[in-house]
Amino acid sequence: MRIHVYERLWLVASMILIVAFIATVTYGTVGLGITMVDDREETLSPGDIDEDERFEDPRIEQVGENEFEAYVVAMTFLFQPDPIEVPANSEVTFYVTSRDVIHSFTVVGTNTNTMVIPGEVSVMTVEFDEPGEYGIICNEYCGVGHHDMEAELIVVEEDEFDLTELSVDAPDTVEPDAEIELTATVSNGLIDDLEATVTVEIGDETFQEDVTVGGDESEDVSITVDADDLGEGDHDWTVTVDDYEETGTVSVASDTDENDDGSENGEDTTDENDASSTVEDRLS
Amino acid sequence: MAKSQVTRKITHDEFDPVGTLALIVLYFIVLMLMWVFTYFVEFVGNDPTPFVVA
Repeated sequence: MRIHVYERLWLVASMILIVAFIATVTYGTVGLGITMVDDREETLSPGDIDEDERFEDPRIEQVGENEFEAYVVAMTFLFQPDPIEVPANSEVTFYVTSRDVIHSFTVVGTNTNTMVIPGEVSVMTVEFDEPGEYGIICNEYCGVGHHDMEAELIVVEEDEFDLTELSVDAPDTVEPDAEIELTATVSNGLIDDLEATVTVEIGDETFQEDVTVGGDESEDVSITVDADDLGEGDHDWTVTVDDYEETGTVSVASDTDENDDGSENGEDTTDENDASSTVEDRLS
Repeated sequence: MAKSQVTRKITHDEFDPVGTLALIVLYFIVLMLMWVFTYFVEFVGNDPTPFVVA
């Protein structure tokens, strides 16, 4: 068979093109270490998400010096947690699963993008070098609210990042001759110690206490005020730790109600005021 | 009616479509450039990219 010289030329050229395509993809995988999301993770039935220790409380967790894990649950039509906050100069592994239908977890403008399939856990490890804000969207049509399904991914400065949580336990009402005991619980989700100042303002009084919270631990700070000192009436309190703030009101009043211990209704009166700035509270 | 039909026979290797060759070479170069752009600029350049954890 006689093949024209030009025909031979473009046969060879098209072969080179195919080889070049395969070579670049191979270079990306072997040389640059780019990976595709696969099904190597154990399956997880959507009904078991609430029992799974990773997903029962969607969150960010520190697992190493600069290593974090983000457990994300996608559902119609939101992502939990939202916003997702991670520090710059870190390595974040996202574990994403779906509660209902097929979604996607797409960090807009990047290659961080995966399908989120109910029953499967998609895992991606990415590096965030610079602080910035990214949008997260769902790119698999998942229902009437699909176009609203979005979240935010915030990469904050390394030294501004914390996993601090503040919750305050204080009574709602106290007798004038009793004491007001206010307990602030500061928990630190980071590996390194957290040094913070707990400031409690109640009425006109201000208390300050320095605390050091160990990695992955929590500390209680209790202050006690005589209700007499504040006088009868409502008193606002504020507890501040770094950028976190909790507020509430305590009433000092002599209890003249006939059901003074609340047990006459057969109810358990919980005159505790639990304030907590966790992600779930912000969502609900 | 005068019949003027000139027929010139050439051999297989004498057929020389330079214009077609130039066009295909051009397409080829465009294709290569588009691939380089798509892969190295649009794909690899859009950090962060999921990578293999050792």
